[in-house]
Amino acid sequence: MIKETMTSRERVEAAIELEPYDRVPVAPLMDVMFASRHKGMTVAYGIAHWKEGFRAIVDVFDEVGGWDAMILPGYSLSLPPSVASGVTAVLTQGAMIFPGQDTAVSEDSQPQYGETERLTVEDYDEIIELGWRGFVEKNRERFAPFAPEKMIAWTKRQTEQYTKEGETWAERGIPSLCGSIVESPLMFLSTKRSLTAFTMDLHRIPDKVEAAMDAMVDEFIEHAVEGARLTRIPGVMLILERGGGFYYPLKIFERFEFPYMKKMTEAFAAEGLLTVMHFDQDWTLNLPYLLDLPKKMCVVELDSTTDIFKAKEILKNHMCIAGDVPASLSSIGTPEDMEAYCRKLIDIVGKDTGFILSSGCTVPADAKFENFKMMIDTAKNYVPAH
Amino acid sequence: MADLADALANLDEDEVRRLVREKIDAGAEPMSIVHECRKGMDIVGERYKNKDYFLSELIISGEMFKEAMAVIEPMLKAGQQSDPISKMVLATVKGDIHNIGKDIVATLLTAAGFEVYDLGIDVAPGVIVEKLSETGAPILGMSGLLTPSFESMKETVKAVEAAGLRDKVKVIVGGGIMTEMVGKYVGADAFTNDASEGVDMCRRFAREGK
Repeated sequence: MIKETMTSRERVEAAIELEPYDRVPVAPLMDVMFASRHKGMTVAYGIAHWKEGFRAIVDVFDEVGGWDAMILPGYSLSLPPSVASGVTAVLTQGAMIFPGQDTAVSEDSQPQYGETERLTVEDYDEIIELGWRGFVEKNRERFAPFAPEKMIAWTKRQTEQYTKEGETWAERGIPSLCGSIVESPLMFLSTKRSLTAFTMDLHRIPDKVEAAMDAMVDEFIEHAVEGARLTRIPGVMLILERGGGFYYPLKIFERFEFPYMKKMTEAFAAEGLLTVMHFDQDWTLNLPYLLDLPKKMCVVELDSTTDIFKAKEILKNHMCIAGDVPASLSSIGTPEDMEAYCRKLIDIVGKDTGFILSSGCTVPADAKFENFKMMIDTAKNYVPAH
Repeated sequence: MADLADALANLDEDEVRRLVREKIDAGAEPMSIVHECRKGMDIVGERYKNKDYFLSELIISGEMFKEAMAVIEPMLKAGQQSDPISKMVLATVKGDIHNIGKDIVATLLTAAGFEVYDLGIDVAPGVIVEKLSETGAPILGMSGLLTPSFESMKETVKAVEAAGLRDKVKVIVGGGIMTEMVGKYVGADAFTNDASEGVDMCRRFAREGK
């Protein structure tokens, strides 16, 4: 056991601000899936019953003796009370197929992405003409056929739950890092057009795609800032997957993803908000660009497909890295495998400062509890060589 | 003027459409047009390996190939389609409904000359075994994006064994979170999280099986 000289909050803040810490902090991206199953509920039940689902997360926290931070406080949404924010959330959530809500996904599955062309190629023109808010308000019934007052009540309830989740952790001395969640315009359009259709759009009508992104980004920033203000958690999770080097060459990244990442992270930093960049898939090629984002105001969260050791080399004096225990290691590995992997991360990526040990993406629904506990224990107990 | 293979490799959609139409109008043998398109796809694959191209170019060229085939295929004589370099069965396994990676690989395999039996998503082991038996396909590709897909893949490999087909069928698993550990766990012969590499592995299996 390492002799701890810092609180969880101090430890996490030190990692983010690249100051020395007493040990590497540990903060899994924990949501209701793993916790529900561990507590004997189906995932569908946990999602549908917020109090019990969130309670399951807290119970898992207690069962393993706690961890240092919540990257997201739970699994509610943080939304400004408006039709536009509600419709945007429904469009995003609508691409997700949740257990219990569709027979395609079993009651005990984790939510899955059913990627269909929810936006058409013709929609670009209207987004450019009306702006994002105008576009979703005009097309509300197409995407979310609910009365406006019902939509606003839903956004309020989600935000109240989100705030409560954050307060629950704060009472335990555990910081939550993200007060709202937003996708980059590229991520949003790619997942709502579908990967293939959006890739063809970039090939055939790049100027139009860029103009639509320009018409979206400011409102995405406003929504995220307002969400963080409402939940009183000074951070934003920026969801990124599709714009990186796994999918696209740098000429695409440089034009359609990075300028928006930069604008968003700079806007959040100007508001005093941390940005946790949630990178799914391999972004190794794009890592040097991150040096041009606000120093010590971003966390790069990796899922094990980006080279985390390369990330340390490049970013060690610029921003904190979180990750990247592979999902497969959590679900089919052994505790010994887990311990060895976490030790390696702590030795190399955790050296000096700037690292938060975490699951690569969310803790999988079928993670083995003993593996999960080993990740937490290794952070608390392992004394690195350096 | 670029030839058809070059136009496809350079992702020039208009030129590919024009050249396909021109060749058809000039009475070219339809199968020769298919071969030119495949040559273009091979060049795309080479550029991908050299890191000049990315997944996006595989997607774009795949869409162009499909569009060209939609024009050419009705003109192929009966039997010409059925001269594949190998048959293979492809599926996203039970419990997983992700189709994007599988669909990209299906297009690339078809372009490479495979006869692909794409069973879709959320496919039970029994359905996969039945299709392997029915077609005699010597290669099985299984896709999954979520950790629970590992169990489904493992069950499917066991079902293939139970049906007495395992020594006749090479199994490859693919998906964003595939690792060597997963490949071993499910009992696959190969694993990949790279569509183009997956096609090369299947080519190798096809050659070994001849």
